Amino acid sequence: MHEVSVALSLLEGIQSTAAEQGIDRVYRVHVRVGALSGVASDALLFSWDVVTAQTICEGSELRVEDVPLVIYCRLCGGERAPLPGTGLLCPQCATVSPHIVRGREMDLVSMEVPA
Amino acid sequence: MTKMRVVEIAGNLMLKNDAIAGRLRDRFAQSATLVVNLLSSPGSGKTTLLEKTLQRLAGRHSIGVLVGDQATENDAARLSTADVDVRQITTGAECRLDADMIAKALDDWRDRRFDLLLIENVGNLICPAEYDLGEDLRVVLFSVTEGEDKPLKYPLAFNSSQVVLITKVDVAEAVGYDRAAATASIGQVNPQARILELSARSGLGMDAWFALLEERISAKALPAAR
Repeated sequence: MHEVSVALSLLEGIQSTAAEQGIDRVYRVHVRVGALSGVASDALLFSWDVVTAQTICEGSELRVEDVPLVIYCRLCGGERAPLPGTGLLCPQCATVSPHIVRGREMDLVSMEVPA
Repeated sequence: MTKMRVVEIAGNLMLKNDAIAGRLRDRFAQSATLVVNLLSSPGSGKTTLLEKTLQRLAGRHSIGVLVGDQATENDAARLSTADVDVRQITTGAECRLDADMIAKALDDWRDRRFDLLLIENVGNLICPAEYDLGEDLRVVLFSVTEGEDKPLKYPLAFNSSQVVLITKVDVAEAVGYDRAAATASIGQVNPQARILELSARSGLGMDAWFALLEERISAKALPAAR
């Protein structure tokens, strides 16, 4: 499981932005995690509490937005969401598309800090 | 209730890794080193494949090997009998290699130049798929004993690899391996993958793998006239 290292990179990203802007307390953090990213939200939440102890993020809430897998199907000419367990198969025309549009995200989106 | 404000941070967590991987890629382009990142589950035959690959290619090319393992150094010990430079990266708690670990390992090799750098990633199909190591070729191993739907369970590992090696085909019949089902599930996550079936133990299909490596090594060594 790599949630601990993901949580650490997250904390690192926040700490550097916070340092630049003179922020010394973070209450809430928003992240976006794709279905293909291999990150389990529950494990990430647990890791977050552990890695943020005694940092500016201690006790902060981590909000994880799960992003479902979306492919671009060339045959249909549009974005489609494959059914679970069917890989990159278009649910409408059943062809496989190697073009992943969304689902690989591991993005730090924003943080909520004292006004 | 404290008043809060929202600070936007546009940051992909992979940015740092990808930046280091980009620098590694430049470095490998300069040294004309073909870099292969091998992904697999534990027990799919990566180390045996490496052993045979080194036996075959060692006399013809300068080869470096980086072996990632969470705890032991057994793999490096097992491989270093061949005439090849093998370094172990013990990752500890980390379940994968990242670009920074590769960069640090290469610093120890400052003056060495390789035609081929083989990277044996930590045995798991989830985390290593996320991390670009600056490689030219990502190869995922998938043994006939693993279950034909594995690519569907770990789509990113298979989608991000250019080559899929179906290993241990010498025991395919005994374990009731369903080739059509396996090929179909690879096709569902990566229709462009080059699929090779082989057995490192019996030697079956290994020539195609060696040929692929040889071809890519020469392509990198002598860029085609533009």
